[in-house]
Amino acid sequence: MAAEHIIKSYDEELGRLNKMIVEMGGLAESQLAAAIEAVAKRDSELAAQVVEGDAKVDDLERELDNLAIRLLALRQPMARDLREIFAALKIGSDLERICDYAANVAKRSIALAQTPPIQPVHALPRMGTLALTLVKDVIDAYVEKDADKALEVWRRDEELDEMYSSLFREFLTYMMEDPRNIGACTHLLFMAKNIERIGDHATNIAEDLYYLVHGQPLTEVRPKGDKSSLEVVAPDRAGAR
Amino acid sequence: MNVSLARSTTVPSDGAAQNGPGTMAAPLPVKVEIRHVNFYYGKFHALKDVSLPLHDRRVTAFIGPSGCGKSTLLRILNRIYELYPGQTASGEVLVDGQDILSPGLDLNLVRAKIGMVFQKPTPFPMSIHDNIAFGIRLYERLPKAELDDRIESALRRAALWDEVKDKLRQSGLGLSGGQQQRLCIARAIAVRPEVLLLDEPASALDPISTQRIEELIAELKSDYCIAIVTHNMQQAARSSDYTAFMYLGELVEFDETEKIFTHPAVRRTEDYITGRFG
Repeated sequence: MAAEHIIKSYDEELGRLNKMIVEMGGLAESQLAAAIEAVAKRDSELAAQVVEGDAKVDDLERELDNLAIRLLALRQPMARDLREIFAALKIGSDLERICDYAANVAKRSIALAQTPPIQPVHALPRMGTLALTLVKDVIDAYVEKDADKALEVWRRDEELDEMYSSLFREFLTYMMEDPRNIGACTHLLFMAKNIERIGDHATNIAEDLYYLVHGQPLTEVRPKGDKSSLEVVAPDRAGAR
Repeated sequence: MNVSLARSTTVPSDGAAQNGPGTMAAPLPVKVEIRHVNFYYGKFHALKDVSLPLHDRRVTAFIGPSGCGKSTLLRILNRIYELYPGQTASGEVLVDGQDILSPGLDLNLVRAKIGMVFQKPTPFPMSIHDNIAFGIRLYERLPKAELDDRIESALRRAALWDEVKDKLRQSGLGLSGGQQQRLCIARAIAVRPEVLLLDEPASALDPISTQRIEELIAELKSDYCIAIVTHNMQQAARSSDYTAFMYLGELVEFDETEKIFTHPAVRRTEDYITGRFG
């Protein structure tokens, strides 16, 4: 790790910034885990807690922004210090978005719990668990400032995309089979999309971390597994009958 | 110190103009090529095999802790060190391909080509007008009207004209510190040099005067090759295109300023600019 600054309070402030990101990361993990559990167990009370808990992350993000602005204004950071503050600002906003999506999933799970259970619900927690792993791993990578580990997360998001694509088709099939499924499946579709977006934010964090460590942006083209936006949705003739 | 490595990524050793790796447009040709320069204060080895180019119409900043040799290097570039006994330099300093360290060269011609401004303003104890005329008269005999024109244009170039045009006959010592420094810059550029060396030109000035000097540097670089020594890292970052970091008489890293201040290649540079230097 880098040597200490001659001015000790500078180190303390950078350390605080670092800690705030880790705290936000921890919250993002627990919010997402709770949201997934709320879906799986049809636990509306837990879901409500997740929705409520989102405000704390928003507060933390504001606090992080203030500290970063203060550091920029008062310390005139250079080189790695500058990249660290810049990355913290971006990662903070990605974590805040991740928590928003977790809260959205939780919110929809409350509505979902009021409809009779349908089969494809079980696929959603599986997707959520993968997203949770990505978030957890990218936060670990941040703590260790490990760009290789971040790169792994960045590549693994493709898996989440593919899962989303296949869920997308599955939900469509259920809706076509029985219009009574449309309400629940629409909720599920949005939830799956939210979880897919969480993966994208985890890759953003991986990119920011890569820049922090190497001083240059990740220029590779990220593999994408989500083809759902190109999907043509039309019931076949038999189904239309 | 990883000079050759740091250099090879950015500046070709033959000194030819090349596209830099950063976002800047193609650098202009090299005006001054410093090659394997060593310098001794008596027995003390103050500069150790320093090589780097100074690009024309670009600002190159020299940074590093006190005693690292940056001012010494500047003093070599116009051979001021020769005024002192026991100080010797070796290597080559090619200005437009001509080695100014070669003993046969006329010192006055070297200094006419290479102007220098020091940390402390050094106005002569004479009028503002004569401060500038003094330098010109050393090299040229001009008719009065032409001399006055030259003085006005130098003062305008140094962004001082509007403040002194009504008191040209008053003593230069009556000006404020910032004005005195701009007077010295006017004096340096009045003899139409090609290279301008600034040794901590703003370190004794208040922030407003400092910004005026920096703005002046930005304007002057369209005509000159400028080298600036500064202890103010932000100043180096703001006002230069290239930055050289020196330590204990060696050139540690030389690269585009943007690169040096966002992700320098050498750890020692990073430690210095981020305030981690022990």
